[in-house]
Amino acid sequence: MQVSLEQEAGVTVARAAGRLDFTAAEPFQKELESAISASDKGVVVDLAPLEYVSSAGLRAFLVGAKAAKARGVGFAVCNLRPEVQEVFDLTGFGRVVSLHPDRAAAVAALVGT
Amino acid sequence: MNPLRVSAAAEPAALDTLQAALGEFWAERGLPADARYAFELALEEFLMNVVMHGQTVAAAKTIWLELDTPPGAIQMVFEDDCAPFDPTGRDAPDTSLGVDERGIGGLGIHLVRQMMDRVDYAHASGRNRLTLTKHLAPASPDRASPDRD
Repeated sequence: MQVSLEQEAGVTVARAAGRLDFTAAEPFQKELESAISASDKGVVVDLAPLEYVSSAGLRAFLVGAKAAKARGVGFAVCNLRPEVQEVFDLTGFGRVVSLHPDRAAAVAALVGT
Repeated sequence: MNPLRVSAAAEPAALDTLQAALGEFWAERGLPADARYAFELALEEFLMNVVMHGQTVAAAKTIWLELDTPPGAIQMVFEDDCAPFDPTGRDAPDTSLGVDERGIGGLGIHLVRQMMDRVDYAHASGRNRLTLTKHLAPASPDRASPDRD
């Protein structure tokens, strides 16, 4: 999987592409944690190009949400494909991280906080 | 058609090999793409369980995968020769919890059970055996025949 970082209105947008399986989960989690610790207003993870996530991948989002909360910045996820959305829905992860339909809404939510 | 059978050493590197075999099986039999996610996920969740449990034993362990299309369904049988472990025996996780209370345990098997129509566990001849079944909705009248073999 590939992660690319961009800055938008003080928010770091991490675009995650490919498959977030158990071999990808740990490096992804570390990238998220370092992006959160370096961010001004927080991190939005754009999942538009993400094809697959497993329970090991979900762990990275949980760790990210906790790290952002500890640092007092925002953390949100946007652009979930239907099959990825289903994984978040079936595990109740919409209550763990804030989900948004698109990037603009996710960035706006963090800028407003 | 005969079932597809693949075996691999119970280690993380087996994931790519087994996912590739699953992809070829899907293409060969023209199976619907929307049913594939559940099987890819089940494969990873069970392999991860085996790898994590397998680390505590010295002997090399093996996993066996069998994929088949019984009438109107897709079936995957996942076997390993690790210590007896029934992942279907654990309680469902509390998916209503928020970020502060949330752990990660049990989410994998929970997802698999939600996405499959049937998950059966057995332990026999020194192997754990998980049988997963997902029913296929008839896609169109000409493909509604229950046996497409």
